[in-house]
Amino acid sequence: MSGLIEREHELLLLQSYKEGEQYIEALRNIAAFLEENVLPFSEEIDLGKRSISELRKSLFKHGLCSIPFNPEFGGLGLPFSVYVLAMELAGAADASIALSMAIHNTVADIINMYGSPEQKEKILPELLSGKKLASFALTEPSSGSDARNMNTRVEKRGDSFVINGSKTYITNAPEADVFLVFARSENGHVCLVVDRDTEGLEVGKNMEKLGMRGSTTAEVFFSECKVDSSSLVGKEGEGFEYAKSGLNSSRIVMGSICVGIASTAFRKAAIFSLERRAFGKSISEFQLIGEKIANMKLKINASRFLCFFASRMRELGMDFSSHAAQAKVFATESSLEVCDSAIQIFGGQGYTSSDVNRHWRDARLLTIGEGTSEILRILIAKKELAGLR
Amino acid sequence: MRIAVCIKQAVDEAELKFDHAGNAILSNAQTKLSTFDKNAVEEALRIKTLKGGEVIAFSAGNNESKKGLKEALAMGADRAVHIITETYERSSLTVSKLLSKAIEKYKPFDLILFSEGSSDIYTSLVPGQVSTMLGLPFIPFARKIEVHDKDVKVSQTLEEKTVIISSPLPAAISVVSEINQPRYPTLVQIMQAARKQIDEIREDSLGVEPKGYRVEYIRAQSVERKKVIFEGPPEETARKLLDALKREGVVK
Repeated sequence: MSGLIEREHELLLLQSYKEGEQYIEALRNIAAFLEENVLPFSEEIDLGKRSISELRKSLFKHGLCSIPFNPEFGGLGLPFSVYVLAMELAGAADASIALSMAIHNTVADIINMYGSPEQKEKILPELLSGKKLASFALTEPSSGSDARNMNTRVEKRGDSFVINGSKTYITNAPEADVFLVFARSENGHVCLVVDRDTEGLEVGKNMEKLGMRGSTTAEVFFSECKVDSSSLVGKEGEGFEYAKSGLNSSRIVMGSICVGIASTAFRKAAIFSLERRAFGKSISEFQLIGEKIANMKLKINASRFLCFFASRMRELGMDFSSHAAQAKVFATESSLEVCDSAIQIFGGQGYTSSDVNRHWRDARLLTIGEGTSEILRILIAKKELAGLR
Repeated sequence: MRIAVCIKQAVDEAELKFDHAGNAILSNAQTKLSTFDKNAVEEALRIKTLKGGEVIAFSAGNNESKKGLKEALAMGADRAVHIITETYERSSLTVSKLLSKAIEKYKPFDLILFSEGSSDIYTSLVPGQVSTMLGLPFIPFARKIEVHDKDVKVSQTLEEKTVIISSPLPAAISVVSEINQPRYPTLVQIMQAARKQIDEIREDSLGVEPKGYRVEYIRAQSVERKKVIFEGPPEETARKLLDALKREGVVK
């Protein structure tokens, strides 16, 4: 069995699809590729000794981002859940690459759902093949969780839209070729596709971060940035709904990446616990270590199943916003606990070695990004209470 | 150019588990396309790119063999032939007979390619046996293959020498892992492979009686180290060490 693939992945696919065997084969193939081409470089990436750019290109070429999209646009036409499991494996191999590609794919997902036929035909093949890298520009210095109250403005002038304002903490921004920008017009929120070389668009410098250090993050500034009206995605006034819709799916993927991060931390800690000896025996024989190992594994599996459940709901056309939020809250928080336990099992080595502690640092982003745990709990509570009223 | 490439779905040695008596547990063992067979498939595809034609992958084995054949198809082989055996354990001689009979059914071929040996048992017997059964010239351990219209030039690396062997076509060749870097099939190719043809031939339909050796067991061998520590001043410990080595027959 391939190292990154676990029995649970195979069983989930076999139980859910009659083509399960074929999907398992696709997943095994991705796992083998990640194990050989990405996993060995993850520590170098965290330490800033290697850029993710070439590895990300090879994953685009391999087809990771194409999984859930229509073959008409260069996709593979596979279920969203297969993509979610593939992103878990990517997260297990290197969280920074997984994050960068997941954000890129959120843009592709929104264009696929709400873009015009011309936009899909022009942009999707370039995004799915990785010819162009995309960035999702929603958060602003004065509005994170309260994204609806964004200050970036857009004005219709003739046949153009003119954008003024700024965005921050934008993943991929330093490298992106295309930005999906959310701004407010007099008619409500607007979603626009903006090319990097558009006059009036400027990208700040790459920010230092606690984790996910291989992915790039920056501010994006718009000053009289003029784009053609064909850049409008969907309808004027609906932009924020598109962002929410894209984020619902993206939350499942972020949860899944965290399952991958936790799985790698777990594997390292479990092997270490078997090898490390204290008081004349392997530390895995101490019940308090055994308890940690058991809790880590059950949190990983429970998170994995929640993510898979939410992605199946999306596939079946159900309202999955509460379940996506549940998956993200549980998987990201569990991942932090698992990675913390891994550091504890490794002891001093866990605190000092990037190879152990980067997993906690990587996971730490995801109880914040794409909806904080706090905001998502509000969303879950609202949804669940509304169902009872 | 028609090329047959013979591959094996081998036990994944990295995942092999042993029971308390040290016997390898082969039932339900994880399998994989034998590591070096990927080089054979890659070489077949490389030659096809240069010369055109068709690559057909052959594998004799139980149901697991389908996985390896699918991988070869995903890499780019055009068709695959699965000779279905009931169990995993078949002697090299039986496998060679099955492969040669199946290859006969699909002939003519210009080249029959193999890897140097399987990554689990590594007897390296099958390539020579199949070539003999098919009456073809056999060149083992190729590090480089140059195919011309009527013949083939093969380089072998033997310690410090490179030997160049020419042979008329058709010929059988086994390749070493240094010959190339096998490609990774992309996800698109995996999906396309699902639609490619795998012919099935049952072993009993080929008139081959499973004969030759039978695998009794595969057991892990381990040698216990003596872990003797000599303590004391250097001259004394050196003398003790020398005495111990003499007692063990290591030095005289």
